[in-house]
Amino acid sequence: MSLIATIATDEWRYWRRSRLAITVMAVGMILAIGSALLTAGKMSAAAHERAHLQAEAEETFYNQPDRHPHRMVHYGHYVFRAPPPLAVFDPGVDAVTGQSIFLEGHHQNTAMFADGRAEARTGGFGNLSAAKIYQLFMTLLLIAIGHAVLIRERENRTLGTLLAQGLTGPQILAGKGLALMGVGLLMSIPALCLSIYAALQGEALSVALGMYLGYLLFLSVWVALILFISVRVKTRGLALGGLLIIWFASSLIIPRLGVAATSALMPMDGKFQTDMRMTRDIRALGDGHNASDPAFAKLKADMLAKYNADDIDELPLNYRGLVAEVNEKELTDVMNRYAETRMTRELEQSHVLRSLSFLSPFVAIDYSSRHLAGTDLPTHHRFLREAEAVRYDFVMGLNQAHKEKLDYGVDINRNNGEAGSRAARISADNWSVLNEFRFTADPAGQRISRAALPFGALLLWMGLLLGAAFSRARRIMP
Amino acid sequence: MMRELRFLFRDKAALLWLALAFVLSVAAVSLGLREVSLQNDQIVELIEMDKVEQEAVLAEHSDWGSMAYYTYHMTYDPPSDFAFAAMGQRDSLPWKHRIRMLALEGQIHESDAVNPDFALVGRFDFAFLLSLLAPLLVILLLYDLRSGEKSAGRLELLEASAGSGRKLWTGRAVMRIGLLAIAILVPLWIGGLLSATSLSLLLKATLLTLAYLAFWTGLCLWIAGAKHTGARNLTVLTGLWLLVCAVVPALITEMTTRAVPVPDGGDIIMTQREAVNDAWDLPKEATYEPFFERHPDMAAFTQPVEGFEWRWYYAFQQVGDQTAENLSQAYTDGRTQREHMARKLSFVSPASYVQRTLEGMADTDTDATLDYEAGIRAFHRDLRVYYYPRLFDGRKYDAEDVKTRPVFKAIIQN
Repeated sequence: MSLIATIATDEWRYWRRSRLAITVMAVGMILAIGSALLTAGKMSAAAHERAHLQAEAEETFYNQPDRHPHRMVHYGHYVFRAPPPLAVFDPGVDAVTGQSIFLEGHHQNTAMFADGRAEARTGGFGNLSAAKIYQLFMTLLLIAIGHAVLIRERENRTLGTLLAQGLTGPQILAGKGLALMGVGLLMSIPALCLSIYAALQGEALSVALGMYLGYLLFLSVWVALILFISVRVKTRGLALGGLLIIWFASSLIIPRLGVAATSALMPMDGKFQTDMRMTRDIRALGDGHNASDPAFAKLKADMLAKYNADDIDELPLNYRGLVAEVNEKELTDVMNRYAETRMTRELEQSHVLRSLSFLSPFVAIDYSSRHLAGTDLPTHHRFLREAEAVRYDFVMGLNQAHKEKLDYGVDINRNNGEAGSRAARISADNWSVLNEFRFTADPAGQRISRAALPFGALLLWMGLLLGAAFSRARRIMP
Repeated sequence: MMRELRFLFRDKAALLWLALAFVLSVAAVSLGLREVSLQNDQIVELIEMDKVEQEAVLAEHSDWGSMAYYTYHMTYDPPSDFAFAAMGQRDSLPWKHRIRMLALEGQIHESDAVNPDFALVGRFDFAFLLSLLAPLLVILLLYDLRSGEKSAGRLELLEASAGSGRKLWTGRAVMRIGLLAIAILVPLWIGGLLSATSLSLLLKATLLTLAYLAFWTGLCLWIAGAKHTGARNLTVLTGLWLLVCAVVPALITEMTTRAVPVPDGGDIIMTQREAVNDAWDLPKEATYEPFFERHPDMAAFTQPVEGFEWRWYYAFQQVGDQTAENLSQAYTDGRTQREHMARKLSFVSPASYVQRTLEGMADTDTDATLDYEAGIRAFHRDLRVYYYPRLFDGRKYDAEDVKTRPVFKAIIQN
């Protein structure tokens, strides 16, 4: 054991004397710390701002004056998706999806205004979050520092000496691996700080720790890969070139070609085609604002029969409110059907893309990181569903008030001058049908189980690479 | 020259990089062409669906107000004949909208649904290949040019036999990068011919590619001297790549975002909605007053009538837009300003500059998006100009007249 430690310390001593290694480390740390501070600052500010906007929107809704209930259905309401604590590490889909939705009767709006939409385009890799720095570039630095761990001994003709002293190949490799892992640990300190910060902000300890361990595991995969390549390859240039091309394929080419292939193999209709199809389905339901729409003839007949009445103004409820209620329910069923189809399809596409974890460790860490942080696609879908639930509840609550608390005769006279309009209002107390909305991340267990597959892929990568490297190391020659 | 070519063909690594460049370029160009043709198909399909939809509305309604309310108008921004090379903003901003006579601010900011997981990864197009991947290929082809010969012990011999060392290395580098340029450009030219890109655009793209590759070649020759090992050269060059292709572009975006504040998009919609919603409860004069300021010619026709009237409804839709006008203008101005600032700053990072220039040539940049938005606004204005007199002067509905209403005409790029 102490032999392995000696080899590792020796390697560290060498790096300490190498200007290049020091520079690379410094660059890595500056990048990681800089992006960590930037992301953390931005996402913390966003969390506060959205919580504030949410409270403000609710306050505004509750404080509306007495009105016709259907006016409040159209007045609508906003919900905001507050970022979870770990978004300071990986903002995930936050960058590309809108963070707020306007809720109103008869429509399901899309999440609006992703911040990215108003940003200037400058190419490159877009915003560099801490997660992206680790996923894309820390590995590059690890390669720069570590590609020669074993080859250097070979080139300096010290490998033979080491072997002659009775050290085995695997022992030497273990020492080198330990040294390189030390570099990985050092590089992971900013990630650890971000995880601790998130935990202090209320993130479950298991998830915060899992997030850190995920990145550590990802760096270890690259350490294992570097070890594997260095036992297989005889010259520095070849090792570096080989590692670079693997990095190139894993981080730049496979994910993008994966997206292209997935969208070609599993195409999805655009929003407009779906909207048009939905419009057609919805038209068949009738217009809920127009109680005399023929679509409601059966409803009318049923109601008249049920209450044994001759005309709708004899009903013990406001027929217009009833029509609005029935129509909203049918409408929502149609809209939900389309929304669910779209979300299912998106999730299917993402699962295919995620299965590339077994081809590219980058895809694996990308997914496990978002899953753990709670900034992934399923969480965004849950936001859409919860927003829809809030929408449906308040609209139906208002429709019920319309049906029960507003007299039909008064209601049809609402456009009859100032007095008619005043009479056709209900008390602002009714606006309390709106539920408060606070979006939080999924429970820790659920996020961890979601991340299991890409996490498993990383473990598999590491196991295979280490196994291959050490079994090859047994046959190592000077 | 021939001798150098023979050397090159013996260098398996170099051949591998060149082949990879060619394959990737073929992939990027064909994926781009495919996407463009998909988008064109989609436009055709949407126009067709839109027509059917409009016919249905025509059959169902017979008054100006309902006609304006229920009729959607398809607007779109067709991909240019060079869009296959750089999809740019078309991936993140909508290039099609369905518009009707309601307040425009509530419609123009709608976005199309793209799988967020896909948007996070990004597209594999020629612009990506050239601006981010090509530099790495240049580096891989050149980092070991001199150091490799040195470690093989041939450096002095080679330089002596060639007479001038510099000439030899420059010549060798130029040949490698020339072949790289051909590997990258041939698929682009074929793609350009297939989609009938103008020759001048292709020429410009070629020059841009050559200049960009020359920049990286120069950098490699400067850094990758014989004094150092190949590995050291490769490390330093990869670091520079990281700086030029990732860090600086991100910093430019960050700087423009911080320097030019843009109003929150949600505020525009919220302001507009509040105005439209409040109008229902306000006396009609409160709507007509600001409305007639913009349309004094309509004022003569209006004797406010009790209860609901379409003209009042559309008047407060317009007033909703008017209320949000300043915010909306600030949003557009902010984006324009950020764009201008990014244009100046992009000279710091050649990768940024290449990406932006290609997007500019393909009309997929922010300017093109802003043009499209301006086109939608103009069209919406035309709709209003068409409907207002018909709504206000109490004219009888005329099914023939409806056919003369404005039709959206896409800006055909290039």
